[in-house]
Amino acid sequence: MSQVHPTPPPGQRLPLITADGVQKHFGPAHVLKDVTTRFYQSEVAVIVGASGSGKSTFLRALNRLEKHDGGRIVVDGIELCDDVKNLDAIRREVGMVFQQFNLFPHLSVLENVTLAPRKVRRTPAAQARAAGLELLARVGLQDHVHKHPHQLSGGQQQRVAIARSLAMQPKVMLFDEPTSALDPEMINEVLDVMKDLARSGMTMIVVTHEMRFAREVGDRILFFDQGRLLVEARPEAFFDDQRNDRIRAFLGQIVH
Amino acid sequence: MTGLLALWPRRWPRERRSSATIALAAVVLLAIMWAMGRVLAFAPEPIGGAAEQFAEGSLVTLALTLVAGLLGVLFGLLAALCKMSRFPPLRWWADLYIWVVRGTPLLVQIFFVFFALPELVPGLQLSDFNSAAAALAVNVGAYNAEAIRAGIQAVPKGQDEAARSLGLSPLQTFVSVVAPQGFKIALPPLVNNVVALLKDTSLAYGIGVVELSNVGNRLQAATFLPVPILVTTALIYLVLTTVLTQISGAIEHRLDVEARH
Repeated sequence: MSQVHPTPPPGQRLPLITADGVQKHFGPAHVLKDVTTRFYQSEVAVIVGASGSGKSTFLRALNRLEKHDGGRIVVDGIELCDDVKNLDAIRREVGMVFQQFNLFPHLSVLENVTLAPRKVRRTPAAQARAAGLELLARVGLQDHVHKHPHQLSGGQQQRVAIARSLAMQPKVMLFDEPTSALDPEMINEVLDVMKDLARSGMTMIVVTHEMRFAREVGDRILFFDQGRLLVEARPEAFFDDQRNDRIRAFLGQIVH
Repeated sequence: MTGLLALWPRRWPRERRSSATIALAAVVLLAIMWAMGRVLAFAPEPIGGAAEQFAEGSLVTLALTLVAGLLGVLFGLLAALCKMSRFPPLRWWADLYIWVVRGTPLLVQIFFVFFALPELVPGLQLSDFNSAAAALAVNVGAYNAEAIRAGIQAVPKGQDEAARSLGLSPLQTFVSVVAPQGFKIALPPLVNNVVALLKDTSLAYGIGVVELSNVGNRLQAATFLPVPILVTTALIYLVLTTVLTQISGAIEHRLDVEARH
């Protein structure tokens, strides 16, 4: 099957993230098979594929929540390995938003957002607080800063989670099915925040089933199938490619 | 029974109601300890004449509970961390500790510290009070270890992942994210352990510590009046455990951010 490789944006030689021949096994299951790709600054890459295709595993390997067992992943010039110092350094630069939000339930919304800057970046409390309030206003939650996560709707919680990641001023944001756990009426408020983020030039890698978002916001679609990165293409090329049986079958299940 | 928490206006924030309850319970406890000898002195014989002994015995019981309770939480935390450690020798050590302590009677442990330890380690002759406190702390520590481990392991894995993905170190993740949530889950069983500890201090009587049970027993042996003496002894224990559960209930209320109660 044909691989469509994107050309790097003009004037950009160095990729922010490089994956070379990445392999991953869970016991006997071979869940990532020789995945090779590059991610460039200010790019919005959307990873799609059926469940079990390895797309979330690949995303989680990019900040080493999953360890790959073959190949190389280089993030911002640092190769991912077991060195704890390197790992913490990389994770400071790579934000992650989870399907289940994973907000800290014992902390207020504002404390959720200021915890990492204060502990990791040693930002003074007043400064972290001011930055946190600004971020929460940016995601439309200025009226909820002193509540606890359980008092918020799912969409609001996910927006707090995005603000929490942004507070570390990451170079790249990973989104692992950020709207899959949300009621339908709350999906758009989260997607709107993500669109806003993309427009601001944030580098984003998004695993999602939201094909409209992929088409409208994505610069590139990565299609995973049975552990392989089968196709990389511009959204318009990907969605119009009716020759590829796998893509046609996948889109047939997703798009109604 | 309804608690002191119900005394405060509902519109008060959770923390304030909790703090007020803890403060009031502490004051009540001090007042009880201060007034016990004076109030019991008005009771008919054989209690009235022994009021001062009951008061002093209660103080010893409370002191044993506080010392062993605080040390026991520390021991429990250390053993729980060892049990979850990546280094097998630490896990083995914790398993051995918990296995031996939970599998042998507390009275034997108290005797061991008081009588056997000085023979095994010459020069390590603790006083009767210190021996009892040490044995009780080691004992409750083993039970606390399981409560704390269960609490920490009940914190969802996504919490750890979220903290680590923000760049927090393993230690920062534990201190700021996992431990506070795990402690909240571990609190009810920890409270059970401390209430049980307060009652178990009565076994210190076996090595001659003059705590509340010993006072009652000596008095009974001298007067042959078991009913009033044992009822008084039991009532004092009941008052002390009640105040203790009020304090722990207030702590639980404070940690209950999700307001389920």
